[in-house]
Amino acid sequence: MMKPEWLARSLLVALLALAALAVGAGWYGQRGVVTLRARMPEGGGWSPGEIKADVGEPLKLRLTSDDVTHSFAVGQLDLPAVDIHPGEMSEVTLVFDRPGKYTYYCTRWCGLNHWRMRGTIEVSSPDPSQTGKVVVGETPLYLELGLDIDTPHPAQLTPGSKPAASAGRARLEQVPLKYRGLSYYRTHSPAAAWEALRAEPFARDLSDAQVWSLVAALWQANTGAERLAEAEAIYRQNCAACHGENGGGDGVFAAQAASEAASMDVPTSGQPIDAHDLKTPANFTAAESMLGASPAILQGKIVRGGMGTGMPYWGPIFTEEQIWALVDYLWTFQFDYSLEVNP
Amino acid sequence: MTHAAGGDRETGKDRFDLARLPWLRPLIYSRWPLFIARSVTLAGFVFTILVGLFGSPVGSHNFAIIFVWIAWWTALKLFFIPLGGRSWCSVCPLPMPGEWLGQGGLVSKTRKRLGLRLRWPRRLRGYWLQVGLFLVIGLFSAVTLTDPRVTAWILLSLILLAILLSLVYERRAFCTYLCPIGGFTGIYAQIAPVEVRVVNTAICAAHAEKTCYLECPWGVYPVALRDSSQCGLCLECLRVCPQDNIALNLRPFNSDLGAARRTQRLDEAFLALVMLGSALAFGAVFIGPWGILKNAALAIGSLPWLGYAAAFLTLNMAFLPAAFALAVWLAEKGSLRTAPFRRALANWSQALLPLGLFSWIAFTVSFALPKFSYITNALSDPLGQGWSLLGSAQVVVNADKFNLAPILQVAALLVGLYWSVNLAVNLAKTETGAPLALRKAAPLVAFSLLYTLLMLGLLVG
Amino acid sequence: MSLPASKRSRYLPWLVISLAGILILILPLPVQARDSTGHTFKVEARRFAYSPSILKVHPGDQVTIELTSQDVVHGLVVDGYDLEAQAEPGQTTRLTFTADRAGTFRLRCSVTCGSMHPFMIGKLQVGNNDLLWRGAGLALLLVLAGVWKGYQ
Repeated sequence: MMKPEWLARSLLVALLALAALAVGAGWYGQRGVVTLRARMPEGGGWSPGEIKADVGEPLKLRLTSDDVTHSFAVGQLDLPAVDIHPGEMSEVTLVFDRPGKYTYYCTRWCGLNHWRMRGTIEVSSPDPSQTGKVVVGETPLYLELGLDIDTPHPAQLTPGSKPAASAGRARLEQVPLKYRGLSYYRTHSPAAAWEALRAEPFARDLSDAQVWSLVAALWQANTGAERLAEAEAIYRQNCAACHGENGGGDGVFAAQAASEAASMDVPTSGQPIDAHDLKTPANFTAAESMLGASPAILQGKIVRGGMGTGMPYWGPIFTEEQIWALVDYLWTFQFDYSLEVNP
Repeated sequence: MTHAAGGDRETGKDRFDLARLPWLRPLIYSRWPLFIARSVTLAGFVFTILVGLFGSPVGSHNFAIIFVWIAWWTALKLFFIPLGGRSWCSVCPLPMPGEWLGQGGLVSKTRKRLGLRLRWPRRLRGYWLQVGLFLVIGLFSAVTLTDPRVTAWILLSLILLAILLSLVYERRAFCTYLCPIGGFTGIYAQIAPVEVRVVNTAICAAHAEKTCYLECPWGVYPVALRDSSQCGLCLECLRVCPQDNIALNLRPFNSDLGAARRTQRLDEAFLALVMLGSALAFGAVFIGPWGILKNAALAIGSLPWLGYAAAFLTLNMAFLPAAFALAVWLAEKGSLRTAPFRRALANWSQALLPLGLFSWIAFTVSFALPKFSYITNALSDPLGQGWSLLGSAQVVVNADKFNLAPILQVAALLVGLYWSVNLAVNLAKTETGAPLALRKAAPLVAFSLLYTLLMLGLLVG
Repeated sequence: MSLPASKRSRYLPWLVISLAGILILILPLPVQARDSTGHTFKVEARRFAYSPSILKVHPGDQVTIELTSQDVVHGLVVDGYDLEAQAEPGQTTRLTFTADRAGTFRLRCSVTCGSMHPFMIGKLQVGNNDLLWRGAGLALLLVLAGVWKGYQ
C-alpha cells in the first residue's frame, strides 16, 4: 500500500507535469510551420521579415497578430487578402510559379506607418535558367519618357468649376484622332490637352469651359466604369486614410503623416524616414496641381513614392493595370464623369 | 486524533456548526480534499505563468489575463470573499511550496522541516505593506491587467517571494503581511457568513498544550479569535484539537462588525479607504468613457502617467482619508466622552467595509459580465495559438443578453450602502442612546451615501 | 385578526418603506413629449476611446452613427442593442438604428485594437437615465431604512 505522502507527491508532480506538458504540446505542434507574426511597424512589423520558398512548392503560412487587426497579401499575386486577427490564427498556402523577390504587405490599416509593413519572399528555382527573373511590371512610363516626377507641375490655366464629361461627350467626334488614343492620354496633362485643343480650328467657337468639358470627356473615354469601380475600392482601402475619402489631402493621417513620420524611427524594410517627410498628402481636388500632371507622372508617383514626402511606393504591390486604373480614378476628383447629360 | 461525538458541541445562537454535518465531517477532517484543491490551483498557477510568458501577447486572447483578471477575480469578489471570507486563502497556491518545505511533507509533517522561522519584524506588522503594494499595483494596473507577460512576472515574483519568506519567517508571513490580495480579503472576511471559533472556552482554559496554536499555519490562537480577518480557513486547528472543540460556523453577515473597537491602529482604516478610492479610480479609468485617462494610465513613465499617478495617490492617500476624517470629526464633535481621535477613526472605519466590498463587487460585474465570452474563448485556446479544444475559441457568447449587468451593479451598491448605514448607526449606539445616535452617525451616513452616488454615476451613469 | 397597536407601529414603517421602494421602481419618470427626430453623430474611434464619447438622443429617435477610425481597425457595438459596425482609417461606416429603448447603454469596441481594447467604452444616453435615477432614489430610501433599523 502506498504511503499517503508518496501518493500526494505523485499527484502533485503529475498535475504540474500536466500543466507544463499542455504548454509544451502547443510548442511541439507548431514546429515545421512558418508562423508569421504581424505587428504594427512601430512594434517591429512582420516577423520574420524575409521568407524563403521554392518555385512550385506550396508555402504554408500560419498568420497571427500580436496587437491589432492586420491582413496579409502578396504584391502582384492574384490572391485575396487574408485577415489576421489578434490572438487568433489564420492560414494561407502560397504557390509561386516564377522565381524572384515578392513583397508581402498588410492591407488593413494598422496605424500611421501601416504602409511600411512589408516583407519579402525570396522564391528560388532549382532550374538555373529561371534564376534572376525579377517579378515587377515593365519599366514605368515616366522612366521610359525620362519625366521628372519630383518637380512641381502647376497648370497655367484652370477651369472655374468642375468640368462635366457629359457636356463634352457630344463633341468628341469632332476631336482629331491624334488626341483620342491611350498614348496621348497617358503622356499629356489635362492642361496641355486643353491648350492643344483650344488652338485647334474646330474649337474656335467654343468657350474655355466647353473646351474643359471636352478634355473631361476625352479623359473619360480612356477608362471604363468597371476599372473605376475597382480603382475606387483600392483607393478607399489604401489611399483614403491619408488623402481623404474625398481626395482633399485631409485624411485621418494627413496631419500626422507630416509631423510624426519625421520624428519616428521605424525599423522596417521600407523607406527610411528623414526630415523631408514634412509635406501633407496631395490634395487631388486642387485643380492647379492635378491638371498640370500627366497620367504618366501620376503613375510614377504612385509607383515610386517619395517626392520628399511620406508617400509610399506601390510598385511591388499593385500590378501595372491596377495603378493605371487608380490614375484613371484620380481624375474623378477633377472631372465629373457621371452619365446624365447636364443641359 | 480523537474526535468527540458531535452531540456535546455548544455553539452560540445565530451559529450553525458545519463540522456537525455527518456528510461534511470526513471532508473537513481529512487533509486530502484541501491538498487536492491546492495541487490543482498550483498546477493552474504554473500553467498560467507559462501561458502568460509564452502564449499570445494579446491580453484578451491569453489564458493568463483572462483567467487571473476575469475568471479568478470574479470568483474571488463574488463568491470566495462575500460567502467564504478568507476561503480563497485555504486553497491559494502561493504559500504552498513554502509551507510544504516548512512542514517537511505534503500531507504529513515530518522532522525534515526547512526554514529559519524568525519572527516577523514588529515595525512591519499590520496592513501597511499590503496597502503600499496595492497602491503600487494600482499605478501600473493598465499594463498589469492587459499584458500577459507582466501578469506572468508578477505571479512568478509573488510565489518566489512567498517561498523565500517561508524559509526565513515563521508561519504565513507573506499571506499575513505582504500579499496584496490578503489585505482586503482579510478585512472583508469580517462581513462573510463563515467563521472558525472555539466551541467551549472552558475546555481550552484547561488545555495546556495549545495544539491548535502550534499547528496553525497562520499563527492564530483560535481562542483569541475576535474577528475572522487573520484566519485562513485551512481548518488545521479543527483537525488537531484533541477535544474536537473548534467549530466551522455559518453565521449572519457582518457578525464581526458593530462592536466598539478599542484599537488605535489605523492600518485597517487606511486599507478600507484605499479600497474605496481605488474602486472609484478604476471605475473611472477602466469603465469610464474617458480615453485620456486610459491612455495616461497606459503610458507608464510619461508625463500624463505621472499626472494619473499623482491623482490616484492623492485620491487614495489624501482626499478620501481627509473626507472620512472630517466625517468622523463631525460625528465625534458632540460626543460626551473624549475618545482619542485615532481610536474614533479606527472604530468608525468598520462602516467602510460593506461599502468597499460591494463597490468592488459592482465594479467586477461591470467588466466581467460583458466580457464573459473571453473565458470560454480562453478555455478553448489558452495560448492564442489557434487551438480549439472545446470548439469555443471563436464563439462569442453573450452572457448578458438581457443587459442585466447594470441592474446587478446597482443592486450591489445598494446592499453595500444599506449595511454600511446600518453599521454606522449601530456603532453610534454603542456610545450613546438611540436618539443621539442618529445625529452622531449622520456624517458617516452622508459619507457612505455620497460615495455610493459617485459609484452609481461612474458605473451606470 | 388585526395586529395589536404596538406591533402595527413596528411594521408600519417597513410597509411604508417597501411601498416607497416599489414606487421608486415603477413610477414613470417625466419624459419630454417630443416628435422623434433623426440624429447623425460623427464618431471618431481611436485607441482607446470614441470621440464624442457620449451620445445623447431621445427615445424613438433615428440615430445614425458615422464611424471613422483614426488609427487602426475598430468596431462598435451597443449594449442592449444587437448592432455592430467596423471602421478603419479612410473608410467611414454608417450605422442606423432606432433608439427605442430608454436608458444609458455602453458602446464597446468589438475589434481587438490593442491592450486596452476591452476597456474602450463610450455611452449612448437615450432619454432619461432611468436606472441611475431609480438607483439614487433607492439609495436615499435605503439610508432611511438603515437608519430606521438602527433605531429599533
